[in-house]
Amino acid sequence: MSAVLAARPGVCRVEHVMGMPIVADVRDAIPADALDDVFDWFRWVDATFSTYKPGSEVSRIASGDLAIEDAHPDVRAVLDRCEELRGQTGGYFDAHAGGTLDPSGLVKGWSVDRAAEMLQTGGLRNFALNAGGDMRLSGRAVPEFTWRVGIQHPLDRTEVAAVIEARELAVATSGAYARGDHVLDPHTRRPPEGVLSVTVVGPDLATADAYATAAFAMGRLDGPRWTARLRGYEAMTILADETVLSTGGFPHG
Amino acid sequence: MRRTITILLTVLVLSLPIAEATAAVETTKKKVIVVTKRFTGSAFEAGRWGTLQVTITVRKTTTITGTKRKVERKLTAVSVPTYPDHTDRSVYINSQALPILKSEALRAQSASIDMVSGATDSSEAFAESLQSAILKAKKA
Repeated sequence: MSAVLAARPGVCRVEHVMGMPIVADVRDAIPADALDDVFDWFRWVDATFSTYKPGSEVSRIASGDLAIEDAHPDVRAVLDRCEELRGQTGGYFDAHAGGTLDPSGLVKGWSVDRAAEMLQTGGLRNFALNAGGDMRLSGRAVPEFTWRVGIQHPLDRTEVAAVIEARELAVATSGAYARGDHVLDPHTRRPPEGVLSVTVVGPDLATADAYATAAFAMGRLDGPRWTARLRGYEAMTILADETVLSTGGFPHG
Repeated sequence: MRRTITILLTVLVLSLPIAEATAAVETTKKKVIVVTKRFTGSAFEAGRWGTLQVTITVRKTTTITGTKRKVERKLTAVSVPTYPDHTDRSVYINSQALPILKSEALRAQSASIDMVSGATDSSEAFAESLQSAILKAKKA
């Protein structure tokens, strides 16, 4: 959230789409309607991928009404990527973890990545797109030289556990405190023990989000070990005793 | 030696208009207007917990010096006139979480954090309503 009220260039817009607030904070001088396309895109993604809407393509695939081959190319691309990530994470990221098809864990990051590409193609350089606490940063928070992102402390929400300073970066946090115990270990169907949250940063939000979910589900021993081997992505894990484990390149502010 | 004098003279000549300019600013009338206003954000669904709405108090200080105009806005208070209370659990969450979230909004300002990663249902709706209240304040 941005609570800085000092006058600065740009447009900040927030809308409730896909069951979460999406914040577009643009620090380039643009007309107010320049973000219409991006929010139309998020609404299309919601209509197509929502597991709450019976008529969405994902719901119709889950119920057997629609064959994957007949689905929209974007739907097929997302489901393919889910399968790839399930393989890469040893099954800890699984779009079928809850028993039925639910690619929401990837759709959020994937749609933000695509929205960021749309803005960059349109000539924007300095912006942040935040979908329910997971975000893509681009350029800098004009007039500042970087973006500053607080990582919420999982036990005490008055505290930020860490601050990241970055320019081009995706930031995803997975934890027990977001929407209750919603991340389950797909192998045991129970929330993992000993870990409070995992934050993963890297170039691509869909991948960072899936890695954060997987590392969280792996628990306090295997999660940090697994993140240490990731290429191009860095991680910070907060354990139940509030020990903070970071990989070498994590961009602590 | 001659060169040093030339440089000294140059510095002296250059500094004269600056001194005059400074004096001019000091003699120009300075006017400060302070206005405190309240802005209420849109109501948002806090997931399964119900509707949440945030009101912020903003102190706007306009300093007019000659033709220059400087506007500063400061967030001085955050309140929650409408919050989810339709289940026992959400009453519990709000009694616990909202005072904390309020102080977080005020703190985030002082820490100049642009975004927060990792949030709950209730705080997401809070952030959203807060954001819309801030947008209204910026336009005022």
